[in-house]
Amino acid sequence: MPTLTIDGVAYPAEPQKNLLQVSLSHGLDLPYFCWHPALGSVGACRQCAVRQYRDENDSRGQIVMACMVPATPGTRIAIEDEEARLFRKSVIEWLMTNHPHDCPVCDEGGECHLQDMTVMTGHCTRRHRFPKRTFTNQYLGPFINHEMNRCIQCYRCVRFYRDYAGGRDLDAFASRNHVYFGRSEDGALENEFSGNLIEVCPTGVFTDRTLKNHYTRKWDLQSAPSICPHCSLGCNTLVGARYGGVRRVLNRYHHHINGYFLCDRGRFAYEFANLPIRLRHPVLPRPAAAKDGAGRPPTAAEAIAAIRTRLRRSRGLIGIGSPRASLESNYALRRLVGPDRYFSGLPQGESRLIAVALDILRDSPARSPSLREIAEADAVLVLGEDLTQTAPRMALAVRQSILQAPAARVAALNFPGWMAHAFQNAVQDDRGPLFIASVDATRLDDAATAVLHAPPADLARFGFAVAHAIDPEAPPVPDLDPETADLANRAAEALLAADRPLVLSGTSLHHEALLGAAANCGWALCRRGRPAGLGLVVPEANTFGAGLLGGRPLREAYELVESHQADTAVILENDLYRRSHGTDVDRFFDRLETTIVLDAVQTATTARADILLPAAPASESQGTFISQEGRAQRFFPVLPPTDPVAESWRWLGHLHPDEARALRSQEAMLIAIAAEFPFLAGAREAAPSATFRLNGAAVPRSSRRFSGRTAIHAHLSVHEPKPPEDSEAPLTFSMEGTTTAPPAALVTHYWAPGWNSVQALNKFQDEVGGPNRGGDPGIRLIEPRNVPRAYHNAIPPAFNSREGLCTLVPLHHSFGSEELSRLAPAIAKRTPPAAFSLSPADARERGLGEGDTLSIRIYGRPVRLPVRIHPQLPRGCVGFPAGWPDLAGIHLPTEGHFE
Amino acid sequence: MAKVIPRKPLTLAERTYLPQVLGGLKTTFKRMVSPNVTLEYPEERPVIPEGYRGVPTLVKDPDGREKCVSCQLCEFVCPPKAIKIFPGEIPEDAPTAHVEKAPRDFQIDMLRCIYCGLCQEVCPEEAIFLQEIFSVTGYTRSELVYNKQKLYELGGTLPDRHFKWEKKRQAAERGHQH
Repeated sequence: MPTLTIDGVAYPAEPQKNLLQVSLSHGLDLPYFCWHPALGSVGACRQCAVRQYRDENDSRGQIVMACMVPATPGTRIAIEDEEARLFRKSVIEWLMTNHPHDCPVCDEGGECHLQDMTVMTGHCTRRHRFPKRTFTNQYLGPFINHEMNRCIQCYRCVRFYRDYAGGRDLDAFASRNHVYFGRSEDGALENEFSGNLIEVCPTGVFTDRTLKNHYTRKWDLQSAPSICPHCSLGCNTLVGARYGGVRRVLNRYHHHINGYFLCDRGRFAYEFANLPIRLRHPVLPRPAAAKDGAGRPPTAAEAIAAIRTRLRRSRGLIGIGSPRASLESNYALRRLVGPDRYFSGLPQGESRLIAVALDILRDSPARSPSLREIAEADAVLVLGEDLTQTAPRMALAVRQSILQAPAARVAALNFPGWMAHAFQNAVQDDRGPLFIASVDATRLDDAATAVLHAPPADLARFGFAVAHAIDPEAPPVPDLDPETADLANRAAEALLAADRPLVLSGTSLHHEALLGAAANCGWALCRRGRPAGLGLVVPEANTFGAGLLGGRPLREAYELVESHQADTAVILENDLYRRSHGTDVDRFFDRLETTIVLDAVQTATTARADILLPAAPASESQGTFISQEGRAQRFFPVLPPTDPVAESWRWLGHLHPDEARALRSQEAMLIAIAAEFPFLAGAREAAPSATFRLNGAAVPRSSRRFSGRTAIHAHLSVHEPKPPEDSEAPLTFSMEGTTTAPPAALVTHYWAPGWNSVQALNKFQDEVGGPNRGGDPGIRLIEPRNVPRAYHNAIPPAFNSREGLCTLVPLHHSFGSEELSRLAPAIAKRTPPAAFSLSPADARERGLGEGDTLSIRIYGRPVRLPVRIHPQLPRGCVGFPAGWPDLAGIHLPTEGHFE
Repeated sequence: MAKVIPRKPLTLAERTYLPQVLGGLKTTFKRMVSPNVTLEYPEERPVIPEGYRGVPTLVKDPDGREKCVSCQLCEFVCPPKAIKIFPGEIPEDAPTAHVEKAPRDFQIDMLRCIYCGLCQEVCPEEAIFLQEIFSVTGYTRSELVYNKQKLYELGGTLPDRHFKWEKKRQAAERGHQH
């Protein structure tokens, strides 16, 4: 085996990596700043200096930057060389000439890469006597706090923000000692991934502004591994809490999904769980509560007894599930009411869309791609989905894919891809194929080879045309205009020429033909022998999980109640006013004898409940989500829900009259699910079970430095209370537990001796930037199957705008369209006001300008909203903000009448 | 087998008990005329020596600014974990806005405190001092969890030798290159 030598020890050579990466992967401590596994090397900070020797006879060698030297066989370096050590120490010393000594007030303190590296190099005495340079800070919006004095000019922020995430409004200004990283003027950072600056910045220039509302040092946070509940991608997160409230969300590395980065929605939406609109107690109808005397809210036992009485009296029970509730909760409801009376909680149209999407993915020769596979695709077609708004992290992955084709082209130049500047020089403006077909302009358009903006029906026709161009056996599209046909041919050519072609679509436009068109493209590529990926974005965190359990559409629940076959409904974490038209829902509730609602926050639906049970949000509960990739992933509570709040599946398990023991634990729930749905059996393996122990101990949620353990309850009792027990998870609510790094599904902190910042992650990976040690969590339930599939052939007719009518198109927004995240104060500050979006042609025709009020009749009800003009929107389409309460419950596709 | 120890017979002087009685009286009369060694506490108070480690208190600087910036290092280092800090931001329009942070609340559980002085030693702002108070009383547990207001009352003002935040403010006025 070819080897290289570090400090006289032989290690395997890995010529495709650099020496810094290899050293870190072998557990050696070598300080660095400007290097980041996802951003490559630029050799700017001079911190990873080592001495390199030509061969075994060379005793002088020379100082090189480890991040810029490939780890080729025969390389000999010394990290512990005296001169290299002094060099590294003096680099820190010169960074410290300007870095303020404000660690006590710095939010980064205690998890600061600069602190760690300063200690690692041994610099401790300041010799520079002159004043430090100072800067004016900027207001960068509700997410990020800016403190430029702390900057050490590593350039990681702009390299992430501009080069990786495609942002344009953060840049480096000035030169020499005055380099300034900021915007040209105060204002919110526009990019949807700005929150990653917090983790990318090695010091405290960019810190979490929402954390300032309830600041907690890293060592005081009780953390647990969780899954982001705010879209369907299933990004892994680390949720931190203290004093009974969630404090912040950090990225939890998953090699195949989110990698090093999260989107801002996932990172800053956590605050909804701390708001006063959280439900903390059961609410019972007045007669039952009155005998308790005034003031005391009912207990869990009283609520269960009251519900049991109602259920006994009931003349027909139905259950309405939810795509935002966990697999276990939906199953518990289905078990309570029976499969015939279990409803998916989705309107007819959406229910069908999800069923179609599942059908396409489950028996598909094309693989449902992970985000990593999306980033590694070398030709991408996005059909109808505005990814940045509906599944933001996927848009970031797509943005990386456009560098795959150029990377293959410059591979012949024989230098490694991690040499960021050389790579940029070689690639220049060369970008790989990315075709985007969407209704309105998207935030990815700047990265696209070509874009098509057209009404949903025409997008589907374009998709079918691409499929036909790939495989002539796919159904042709009649009467296609030559321009679209030409674009379809170009897209087909690019996809066919690629090694890893990919087709992405989704349900956000509520247009079934789009899914068929995307499926045809994916299958056509497979038939032509290409290893195609086919990804479908769905709306909510567990849309696929709920969809796989079946369940009838909501309309049938209304009919059942209307025909007096049911008088009691259990509604699980679902706001029906977001699903159906308000009058229908009102009528449904009016007809019901008893409405039992479980939810974590107050909604329009909880206001109509007779009995309300407080459910725990994802941060306080354990459960399983199935992502759009088809991956089952487990999330764990960071806090034990305060009594009487409990997970929905626990409430529902208690309501079962006879199955007292069968459904009392999550494990039991998963066993029952596996027995009934063999297809979901894998969900049990998504994370280690409750009995898992490492060296005989469970994994602690608190850090070993957790402080105030006894002081927190000091005013109440002299006794330190016993920490709450977790019978469901192999995690403890305390600092006691194993000190060994746990499997990735159970990681609660990234910390290693000497590495207090998030960069300690290096110690949790097999190799830096590679998979988590011991494998990445989650189980893929959907794998490609080589089954012959007949092409979809329901090709819609071309769109025709009609006088006085407009096609309503949902326009999604990363900050506002998702139900729970829009409640968070920081997200709400970035949520644009509701508006109708009009094409310039439509606006001119009606004499409307930006900001004028437009009235559109939808279902006979006029809706008045200000107008926003979207230059790229096709004529005849009016965009409405999807997920805004003003316009909730519109069944799509539908048309509106101009008034 | 028990060993028999014969008892020594008493002398005549011992049998009268007089030498012992007189010896005792001598000590008694000597103490009657020598100066007192006890204090009539609480009316009289002891002199507290320099560097005495009494109750930990929070102090203000001569301008009346609370010196604590809620860095939480004392909370971190406290061996019995008796300190609880709720960090807060100083509003941007406040005169001390350049200090950025101050505790929203700062609690020390005096029932837990072991007077080790590590909080004083670790404090990077010289904001917490163990001063001369040694007697802590109260009727309930919660009374003995001292809050921020109480800790500042006990601490008072101490001279500032560094004026580090003042230097920061001056630098900001001087500098501000962009």
